[in-house]
Amino acid sequence: MRKVLISSAIVLLLPAAMSLADEAKAPPPWDERVTRALDFDTVAKQGPAATEQLIDLGQRLFEGKFTLKEGAGRPEATQAIVPTKRRRPAQTMFQRMAGLDANACASCHNVPFAGGAGDFTANVFVSEGFESADFDTSDPQFSNERGTNSMFGAGLIELLAREMTADLRAQRSAALKKARAEGAPVTQPLETKGVTFGKLVAHPDGSLDVSAVEGIDHDLTLRPFSQKGVFASLRQFTVNAMNQHHGMQPVERFGTEWTGTADFDGDGVEDELSRGQISALVAWQATLPPPGRKTDLPEEWQTAAAHGEELFSKTGCAECHRPSLPLDSLTFLDPGPYEGAGTLRPSDVEAPIAIDFSSFEWVKTLPRDDRGRVLVPLFGDLKRHRIADAARDTLGNELLSQRFVARDVFLTAELWGIGSTAPYGHRGDLTTLDEVIEAHGGEATEARKTYSALPEEEKQSIIAFLRSLEITQ
Amino acid sequence: MSHLRKMINKVTATLTASAVLAGTSLSLHAEERRASLAPVPHFVEEAASAGVSHSYDGPWEFFVGGGVAIFDCNGDRRPDLFMAGGKNPSSLYMNQSPTGGALSFKAQDTGLDDRLGTNISGAYPLDFDNDGKMDLAVLRLGENLLLKGLGECRFETANRSLAFDGGKEWTTAFSALWEQGATFPTLAFGNYVDRSAPGSPWGTCHDNFLFRPQGTATDRPNYSEAARLSPGYCALSMLFTDWNRSGEPSLRISNDRQYYRGGEEQLWALPADRPARAYRRADGWRHLKIWGMGIASIDLDVDGYPEFALTSMGDTKLQTLDDEADETVPVYRDIAFEKGVTAHRPYTGTDLRPSTGWHSEFQDVNNDSLWDLYIAKGNVEAMPDFAAYDPDNLLLGQWDNTFVETGDQSGIALERRGRGAGLADFNMDGLLDLVVVNRSGPASLFRNTGAGTAETPRPLGNWLAVEIQQPKMANPHGVGAKVSVKIGNRTIVRDVQIGGGHASGQSTFLHFGLGVSERAQVRVRWPDGDWSHSYRVFANTHVIIDRGAESARLWYPE
Repeated sequence: MRKVLISSAIVLLLPAAMSLADEAKAPPPWDERVTRALDFDTVAKQGPAATEQLIDLGQRLFEGKFTLKEGAGRPEATQAIVPTKRRRPAQTMFQRMAGLDANACASCHNVPFAGGAGDFTANVFVSEGFESADFDTSDPQFSNERGTNSMFGAGLIELLAREMTADLRAQRSAALKKARAEGAPVTQPLETKGVTFGKLVAHPDGSLDVSAVEGIDHDLTLRPFSQKGVFASLRQFTVNAMNQHHGMQPVERFGTEWTGTADFDGDGVEDELSRGQISALVAWQATLPPPGRKTDLPEEWQTAAAHGEELFSKTGCAECHRPSLPLDSLTFLDPGPYEGAGTLRPSDVEAPIAIDFSSFEWVKTLPRDDRGRVLVPLFGDLKRHRIADAARDTLGNELLSQRFVARDVFLTAELWGIGSTAPYGHRGDLTTLDEVIEAHGGEATEARKTYSALPEEEKQSIIAFLRSLEITQ
Repeated sequence: MSHLRKMINKVTATLTASAVLAGTSLSLHAEERRASLAPVPHFVEEAASAGVSHSYDGPWEFFVGGGVAIFDCNGDRRPDLFMAGGKNPSSLYMNQSPTGGALSFKAQDTGLDDRLGTNISGAYPLDFDNDGKMDLAVLRLGENLLLKGLGECRFETANRSLAFDGGKEWTTAFSALWEQGATFPTLAFGNYVDRSAPGSPWGTCHDNFLFRPQGTATDRPNYSEAARLSPGYCALSMLFTDWNRSGEPSLRISNDRQYYRGGEEQLWALPADRPARAYRRADGWRHLKIWGMGIASIDLDVDGYPEFALTSMGDTKLQTLDDEADETVPVYRDIAFEKGVTAHRPYTGTDLRPSTGWHSEFQDVNNDSLWDLYIAKGNVEAMPDFAAYDPDNLLLGQWDNTFVETGDQSGIALERRGRGAGLADFNMDGLLDLVVVNRSGPASLFRNTGAGTAETPRPLGNWLAVEIQQPKMANPHGVGAKVSVKIGNRTIVRDVQIGGGHASGQSTFLHFGLGVSERAQVRVRWPDGDWSHSYRVFANTHVIIDRGAESARLWYPE
């Protein structure tokens, strides 16, 4: 399914000297280290011919268990996304709360396959990592306990987010231009791919009132990753996660340029993850096929699921859990266009790595609209919503806001693949789909009430539909 | 350490290669210079192509001075320029630089006639009548001017309407501040040699003057009374500062030992409704004699007490409050050597004679969240005991709390005699550009192209530009406020001040480098001491914080 259509032949044509990993320094086959040298520019220059090797190396990095020798551990650094020194050295290398909390990415992202979600046992304790970075309790005043998200289809999600960011910023620019030209304030509704994000007011002096912007950060960067929607890209997420979970510090964030040292975490290993290695991880995650639907269902389930899908829309669930969003371009550029310093930017490289998703088999399974756009069946809107209230506070179970996002506000969970990713809820502590639906409050109150009022048979149809959405390999 | 050694080798090799290409040999001190581990920005000089053609020149009286005021004179928030010309006419340039593009300015008429438009040594922007339009305090050899901004980069002389006597002195320094409860600012003018005194120039420094607004008028200030700050010791820079976190301003004055007798650096207390009083030895103030040229101030260690960089001939000083100090005892010690900012002789070339430092300014030119120090350099005229080739310094802050010289690597090491200067983002791309007024030579205008080139600029770290406003209040631009930016566990602070530098001041967005932080929390301590709540802002944008507003406004130059 993940096989690249055309690249295998080209790879065979590559001279040995052009292998992505540095063969001259290749360790013996029994070597315990996961990392292999990988140069970003070499990959970028090779173009599509390098894609399959890049993805393979990314899989190795995602599934491999990092070792002390290659930089696992951060005895002098916290889990924070901004390089931050610990006040005192870590007592132990591994610690399930503040980290290191995993040997490999796939230690947690493994349901039903590597790259997938995680059981409650794989929960992560999210802390900013600045104050009280060394917590050793699950007390929610120190961290937000979260379930592990599935990464399947993540590349398409990021492409959607990039296009939506571009749309919204273009609307902002147009409003500013109009306000300057007309010498009067311009109120601009924000909308992209049919999803609305409130409005902004542009003033003739170039200033902008963003107090009525909804569901997205005020800089109009759509951040589609994490349950809060606070990471703009797989690359940014990966850089954060490699430090937090493994103490493998990427050069682009923790290297000499931004910290004055090549060994910020003080473990004796310099420059632990290169640009190219992060790109490999990004490439593997980005090309994980999107979840699909079960194809071998008994007739009874098929019938119930079809009815449930209709009900899913009628109850209002699909207002936020949108069945699909249209995507114009299938070219995934790494780095992406909206990165800031600390995550590799287009301006940091001569040329980006380009991955053409249309060369993958799984793209053929995706429907297209009458304009030829791929319809990404995410069952989400990539927008943040208030999802809890006093009456239904289960999904507002956190005490800490993350970044600038309030504690009861979350990104609409994409439901594709949900049939493969029990348990549910942000903390992974809801055992059935009915429980998580009934937990919806806040902006989802009306839809939840409609669901609650359905006869049991119709509720079961919705469950049948949701359970038909599965992650396939 | 091996990495550091590699970097040192690298810069040595680079410098050697450059020297070979230039057909010169490098002095030993240049070869031993540490390499910056912080990223070095690349500056491109483009004054001519930008339409800026200006030279500061004149006889002995204009060996000093040569300032530039950087401010928005036409309401588009892009920084414009007013440049002192000495015997030459002053210049006014309106900023037309496209966002992120090459610098471009259009010359404007200053509106000053031949008499008032010449003999100008420097200028500082401020809004002395609280009307929201930037005004100018213009320092002259002769009558100083208060120019009221009318918008569209037009000005009118307001000396008479403000009852301001511009005097006849040789004025070379300025600072201003709204004292607590005051509607209008207090102005301090620093004077140099009294040429009419017997024995001039030696030991004949003129007194300085303090203008506190008089009366109760609310539409404009009345500066009919001037208080003498005596003795004066030939001031070349002055700065109102809350050095002791008391909320009560003091006036720091950096003086030129070349001409005073028995003088020193000065600090004046300004108790409310009482005359200014100089701190003395008995108050803990320690005698320091330097060729004081320019004051730069920043709170390097974020302890609430600012550090002061003082340029001079020879060593630059960097003063921090000593352990013996307290709120009433201003004991400072020098940390320039341990921080690596003495900048006492040229860092490149073969001239081993001492440097001559002028304008100084702390800014973050590479956006790595560490303060950097710029120093304009240049021989006074032809002083044989001081370096003739004396390029400007760009000392980049390092993560070990020291500074490393990168003037040559960054492209600002021109063979010109720098005087006044300023760092501001002229093309609104988030990288601070640089303007330098040079004596007897063309003004320099450098575009900061970050990690790139003129053709392909590339950003460095993340950044934030902050404008604060007190709408419908006196002191609308919040002079005297402190702006605190929190990124992770670190806090970066800077004060909103008018003064310091060398005859040069600015009123533009406050620039902060954020390094790899993609967001920040901003708090403002307003001039009356009230703290704002925390404003949550994203990196790489301009924000406007109105006092009392729930959230920051954004501003886009597009």
